[in-house]
Parts: sequence; structure tokens; C-alpha cells
Amino acid sequence: MSATYYGRRHLIRTVLAGAVLAVVATPSAVTAGEKPAATLYKNPQCGCCEEYATYLRQHGYRVTVKPTHDLSLINRQHDVPENLEGCHITLIDGYVVEGHVPVKTIDRLLTERPAIKGISLPGMPQGSPGMTGAKTAPFTIYEITNGTPRIYAVE
Amino acid sequence: MTSHSSASVSRRTFVLASAALLARPAFSAFPAHASAVREYRLTAAPGRVPLVGGEHPETAVWAYNGAVPGPEIRAWQGERLRIVVENKLDEETTVHWHGIRVPNAMDGVPHLTQKPIAPGASFTYEFDVPDAGTYWYHPHQRSFEQVGRGLYGPLIVEEREPIAVDREFYWVLDDWRLQADAQISGDFGNMMDMSHNGRIGNTATVNGRIRETFEVRRGERIRLRLINAANARTFALDFAGHAPRVIAFDGQPVEPHAPAGGRIVLGAAMRADLVIDMTGKPGERFRVSDTFYRGLEYRLLDLVYAAEPLRDSPPDAPVALAPNTMPEPDLKAAERHEVAFGGGMMGGMMTAMMGGRRMDMREMMQNGMAWTVNGVAATGHMLDPFLTLARGRSYLLAMHNDTAWHHPIHLHGHAFRVISRNGQPTRYREWQDTVLLSPRERAEIAFVADNAGDWMFHCHILEHQAAGMMGVIRVA
Repeated sequence: MSATYYGRRHLIRTVLAGAVLAVVATPSAVTAGEKPAATLYKNPQCGCCEEYATYLRQHGYRVTVKPTHDLSLINRQHDVPENLEGCHITLIDGYVVEGHVPVKTIDRLLTERPAIKGISLPGMPQGSPGMTGAKTAPFTIYEITNGTPRIYAVE
Repeated sequence: MTSHSSASVSRRTFVLASAALLARPAFSAFPAHASAVREYRLTAAPGRVPLVGGEHPETAVWAYNGAVPGPEIRAWQGERLRIVVENKLDEETTVHWHGIRVPNAMDGVPHLTQKPIAPGASFTYEFDVPDAGTYWYHPHQRSFEQVGRGLYGPLIVEEREPIAVDREFYWVLDDWRLQADAQISGDFGNMMDMSHNGRIGNTATVNGRIRETFEVRRGERIRLRLINAANARTFALDFAGHAPRVIAFDGQPVEPHAPAGGRIVLGAAMRADLVIDMTGKPGERFRVSDTFYRGLEYRLLDLVYAAEPLRDSPPDAPVALAPNTMPEPDLKAAERHEVAFGGGMMGGMMTAMMGGRRMDMREMMQNGMAWTVNGVAATGHMLDPFLTLARGRSYLLAMHNDTAWHHPIHLHGHAFRVISRNGQPTRYREWQDTVLLSPRERAEIAFVADNAGDWMFHCHILEHQAAGMMGVIRVA
């Protein structure tokens, strides 16, 4: 039980250290059959995010889920515009992945390694990985950059 | 005239003042008042306080009289308070006296009960305090930012015949979203917080400081008044090695009892009075933890036993408080109304009325709204009442939380009995002014609508309130 308790000073450092680590994380080469480690930050009371973590694991990613109340702060630290925020944040191999992005597009991102901060599927569309319901429209996945958001993929 | 001196506490003197308050014996330092009205002065203004302490810089806050929490306002039951509020912020403000059954014009709700206090202007609140208990004050104007930046303070109404304890003190609990430079993150009102569980911080404070320890003595009996002043965080305090008894919720006496599961759960704006008997040995330490959010439990502080015991074992005097003055609702004659709370993430696809137009969740969120009361997302405080109650009659409100999130629901101007949860009668039929509803939970509350006026009825997760979860109940 004691392992889950933090001092309050530690609470501050946990958040900021986590964000800094994510920025400086060295991208690792993705070799065939091996997916990189991913850290998924989520609201402690949100259920869909756990479903998404399960989905990533089923597709070979090693996912660490970290409940946090600092999602908004972490998004700001990664310069994610508010209209591209997902309900959870996945840090993976130097990129930010917002929301319920399908693995096909994540795999492409990690193979192509474009000079962007990450990608986002905003709005938690029905039928996306980890969400309930049936897909009713194509998923539009945006690039997260400093400039105007551009479409990275439609699937 | 302790009231005047405590009302003008400077930041430099606050540390000493608060230390003195914490050690204040229950009934020696606070004198009976000769005059008819007890006066205080509150100035809301930007300031700087050492929230984090150590090598960290002071934090820029908005504060009453330069201190977080603001000065303690204290009165005897039945006295009259006159509080002059001066606004030195760059925006309008008001002050709401949370839990005190004030006349409507003194309730501090912008536009609904008063014109907001403009920058540079003042407003004088004056009202009687009919009930003893632990209350607090805070703005009701853009409260998600004004409270979140530090505008709040304790308001204590003493019983005429208090219970016997060795020491009494309050812990005003809050949490802050701080950045590495110990400054408040400016992301107030973002949609992530608005549509999930509100703005929950990363740094918890007790009386405006990170406190590592709290000194106690073997054999003493302590009355601890807990006030949750956070925007959104629910606290669930666990006192390792101790068996606190709850003697009041939201200022209102309750049959003394050990809390369910051994921990004291307080949603935003809620209070509890505890009696804790200090049964440890000199030199021992015991952890006080906040265990509400799974995986994010943390140590709030440690109780540390001084070398010198007070006595071998705590006193055995009764701890039940005398009842307050609320009229008892007549449940047989009570008129019943349903109130449903909806919206939020994982709430299922829903539509709501907003500004007279029906919208789906996506369109609501594009307009900064996420929550509803009886299907309506409220914009601003000037609302047509969703219920009109006859003054003097008993009412039963059957509340349904149709969301995936917790909501502490606050009724202004009244206290109510919580008489059932999920169809089961509550054991203590506790009086509250703010009732915490768990996800999908139902609760019934009952009260006599004896206070005339238009009263807010809203979620006290301040982001939920701002994003639509409020309504007005008229008593006429």
C-alpha cells in the first residue's frame, strides 16, 4: 500500500518529471515484431481509456497506464491545441498520440517518423478502438504541429 | 475586538496567526460579544503566498486580505455578522456564505440575488447566523477561476453550549494545479476538466500550506473541522491508527459515528466535524492519507506525537452536538419532485436544451457546455426556476445521477435531510447542504422550503457548474 502513496512535493515532481522525460525520450528503432513501449495517461475514473490500453496491448504494444489529474497540463506541455485534445494521452517513441487512434495509423507514424509532435483522433468517435458503438463515419486523424493542423490519415 | 484584528491579517502575520488558531483552545480565546453585530472586512485582491514552501518561490494567487485561506470569520450562534467586501480584482466578484441560511439578498449569487461587485467597489453583507457549525465563504462569480486561485475562507459558528474537547482547529483542504515554478497553471475552464471530473490539482494543501506534520499529544481529545474548498477534488481521509467520529456534516449535527469504511469522504464544498481521541504513544507518527482516487492515493500529512502526554487516556465526555434550528420536514405531506443530472463523458449520447434550443452532446461541447439538470444546460445565473416551491411546505427531491461521474449537489438557503440512497433509508438521516452523488446513484433529500427567494441548486464541482449543471429553485 505504501508504494502508492506519494508525498505532496513528490506529486508536483511526478507530473513535471514525467512530462520532461517524455520530451527527451530517445526514439528507439522499431524492429520487426517488436513494438515500442507506450505510456498512457488517463483520468483515474475514465473507463474508455482502459479499453484503449487493452487494444494497444492486443496489438503488441507494451503499455503502462498512468492515472493522472494533470491531463490538461500534460497537453499544454506538449503544445497540443485544445481542439485536438483526446480524453487520454499516449506517449510513444517520441510522439504524442491523442485519443482513440487505430494502430494502423500509429504503426505508420512510427515507421515514417515525420517531423511532427504527434497525431490525434479528436472527439472520441463511436466505433473507434476502445469506444463503444459502431463506426458511422471515417476517422480523420490530424497531425499535431505548431502550425495549422493537417490531416495525417483517414481510415 | 478580536473580530477586527483577525479581519485585517497581513500575509506576514498570517503564519503566526494561523499557528495560533490551530492551537486555540476551544472556548477561552473567543470572547462573547457585547455589541449586536460582529464586523469583518474582506478585501479580494491578487497576492503571493508560500503554498509549496522550502526552496520554491511564492505562488501568485487571488486572496482575501492577502491570505489563503482568507481570515477566519467566527461568531456565536444567533449573532449577526456584517461583512464589508471590497473588490480589488480586475473583474467582478461576489461572496457566497456557503451553508449559512441567509436571506436571499445576502446569498452572493451574481445577478440572481445581487449586482456583482465591480472592480474597485464594495458591498456590505449583513445577516444573522441561525445555526452553529462549520461553514465557508467563497465567490459565486466565475467561481471556477476565483475559488481556484485561492478566494475562500472558513466561517465558524460556535455552539452556545460547546462539547468538551482539549483543542479545536480547522483544516481547509484544497488542491492546486501547479507548474514547476510553483505558479498556478492558467488552464481554467478547459473542456477536458469541464467534461470529466473538473479541475483537480497536483498539490494538496492544508490551510494554504503543504504541511508535513501535525503535532498532537497522547490523551488529548481534538475537534477537527474539515472544509473541502477544492474546485473539484473529493477527499477521502484515512487516519491511520485512529478512530475519528463524525459529529457534524456540513455544519449540521449528526449522531456521532465512525464513518463508513473508516474514511471521511468529502466532495467539493462539503464539511465534516470530527472528534479524534489521540491514543498513540509519545514519539509515534501516524499517516493521514487521501485515498479517494484509485492509484493516486497520497499522504496528506503525519500526526506526530509530542514527547509529553497530556494524560494517559482521552476523556470520556459525550460528544453529541445540540440540534440546530431547521424545521423538520413532514415526509407524509411532502410534495415529491424528480431531479435528473445528466451529461459528461461516458454518459451515453444525449441531447439537451441550451439557450432554448435542443443540441446534441457534440454541439453542446462546442459551446463549452457538458452537463444538465432535468435536461437543461444552464448558461449563467439568471435562470427561470425549474421548480417553484410554496413557502413553509415540505418537499422531497428524488435526485438521479444519470452520469458516469461524482457530483456534490448544493442547495442554497436551506439545509436538507438525506433520507435515502439507492432506495435504502440512510442510517443517520443526516442534514447537509451539499450531497455527494456517486455515478448512477439516486438519493432522496427532504426539507421545509422556509426561506423565500430564488436559490441556486448546482453541482459544486465548479467546472460542472460552469458547464451547465445548475438550476434555480424558487421559494415563494
